[in-house]
Amino acid sequence: MSGSLQLTGLTRVHAAGAPPALDDLTLAVPAGSCVAVLGPSGSGKSTVLRLTAGLDTPTRGSVHLDGRDLAGVVPERRGMAMVFQRPLLFPHLSVRDNVGFADRVRGLPRRQARERAEHHLELVQLGGFGSRPARALSGGQAQRVALARALAAEPRVLLLDEPFSALDTGLRQEMHELLADLRLRLAPTVLLVTHDPAEADALADTVAVLAAGRLQQLGPMRELYARPRSLAVSRLLGGRTEVPGTVTGGRHRSALGELELPAPAPEGPGVLVVRPEAVTLVAAADADARGTVVQVRRRGLRALVTVEVAGRGTEPAAVAAELSPGEEVAVGAEVGLRIPVTARCVVPPAGLADAREGASAHDRQR
Amino acid sequence: MTAAGRAGAGSRRATLLVLPAVVPVVVVVGAALTSAVLLSLGLTPLVGRPELSLDAWRATELGTSIRLSLAIAAGATAVATVVGLCLALAVTAGARRSRLLATLSSLTIPVPHLVGAAAMGLLLADAGFLPRLLGIAPADWPALVGGRWWIAVGAEYAWKESAFIALVVAGVLSSRVASYTETAALLGAGRWARFRHVTLPLAAPALGASAAVSFVYTLGSYEVAALLGRPSPEPLPVLAVRLFTSIDLAARPQAAAVAVTTSALGLVAVLVSLRSLRRLAAEQ
Repeated sequence: MSGSLQLTGLTRVHAAGAPPALDDLTLAVPAGSCVAVLGPSGSGKSTVLRLTAGLDTPTRGSVHLDGRDLAGVVPERRGMAMVFQRPLLFPHLSVRDNVGFADRVRGLPRRQARERAEHHLELVQLGGFGSRPARALSGGQAQRVALARALAAEPRVLLLDEPFSALDTGLRQEMHELLADLRLRLAPTVLLVTHDPAEADALADTVAVLAAGRLQQLGPMRELYARPRSLAVSRLLGGRTEVPGTVTGGRHRSALGELELPAPAPEGPGVLVVRPEAVTLVAAADADARGTVVQVRRRGLRALVTVEVAGRGTEPAAVAAELSPGEEVAVGAEVGLRIPVTARCVVPPAGLADAREGASAHDRQR
Repeated sequence: MTAAGRAGAGSRRATLLVLPAVVPVVVVVGAALTSAVLLSLGLTPLVGRPELSLDAWRATELGTSIRLSLAIAAGATAVATVVGLCLALAVTAGARRSRLLATLSSLTIPVPHLVGAAAMGLLLADAGFLPRLLGIAPADWPALVGGRWWIAVGAEYAWKESAFIALVVAGVLSSRVASYTETAALLGAGRWARFRHVTLPLAAPALGASAAVSFVYTLGSYEVAALLGRPSPEPLPVLAVRLFTSIDLAARPQAAAVAVTTSALGLVAVLVSLRSLRRLAAEQ
């Protein structure tokens, strides 16, 4: 059932002179894997899906499915199914006939289509809902039916366009579990688009970060969290600490002092980024840097604190740290900061980011 | 105040708010229909004593006129529905020419039927613009105006009503159909399957409602049939007007009988279409 998808140099310019909505995207989705395209609104991530599905035509580049070029192939012959942000269940059909839609238009007799629909409804844990009208479902149920309907079409690639973003947190969690379960049972090839790093983390094997139509970084979510290649990626993934400084001889010099780096970094100006969950508050003697707590924000049992470190002759640096559950600290307290060497990562400053990032993202794909 | 009391007050208020619209309709239509029924049954004669009688109903050739009127209305509505749907599909297709098409078809709407009928006569008559343009002699030109098949009458109604139907259906299609047809395409539905299984069912309620309005209007419309039709047999509205304006005052009850019949047919058509529309709406 699952096919392998290859997008090569995919570009879409909507109007001459306007910046491209998608710029030279190369991305592979191996058979049976789930790749997420992660990006903020307007980053061109939905364009990726529309071009892949054939709902829009690329200005340049190609889409290959199992080695076959899909240029000029209409959406209904591409062997893909898409689940959108809204369920878009056909309002004039029952739940069962919605799920059986692909089989019906394929020419299967109604009874057989309905039997298969029941099977797919059971896959999404909605057995027995078949005879209900499509509009009599809750948001979560409707989205499950939309998923069952897409699976019933037996697509070679399943395209998911922010399918769970309209659901509340609990339902979204349920849908994530359902999709993980379906992946284990059916091993579909999935190309998912989302703006939520947690969703990409929960569902995808590989994540492509997109900003302003360009691929910023591609890799497993863990790698993106630990080693963002740009400020844009770090910010999109919830990174808060950005300490400007200079790299010399494998060490980063800034208001935090001179910090050893885990991997070689280009010499010259560089911004140190660190995940808040990697930073711990320690006694002054064991600290990599010392500063004053200037802000405390609650996050359930944990607290997110911002520590300001005064630099010697430089701008003060703000470092975010997530405390362990139950650990408390007051605003104004003098604290020591421990930043593990492996958690340190240097990215180019904002001005240099575009040139250097564009080149490095490109190199990775070649 | 209890909940029931509040609900009662709410419904009273709603009734009061509706009254300004309902009262004129009931007074005008109700009074007109009542007086027409009374006149047709001989109970309010212009001369002589009131006496209950069905003579007015028997005297006219109601059967032929009913069949003719229903046929004209059904034929014109059928053509208008097909053309209107095609226009709506073309307008909402998103092509560059669709805006021009939409403007052109909506230009038809403000043109009065009388003007449309005159134009259709000038175009289709045996000495009209079309035979001249095509170089066909009047004797060889089929009798489209005033002929046996009421072609010019049907064509005028179909032309005018198709723009109305297109406007209503395009409004519905443009707001909801695009995303559904994209979904259907990605589920493997080709162009025809998308039309058959998605577009048509979604357009059906609007198409049905506008077709019903068009049918009832055509059934009761006078001027086009009077201008472009043949003298005999006459459709119901033409028959009613001729009898009503006749110098024979005894023909007035017959005119009333024809008018009541036309209204009853229109009412039945509205009730039937409302019923089927409610069923369609319940499915969506």
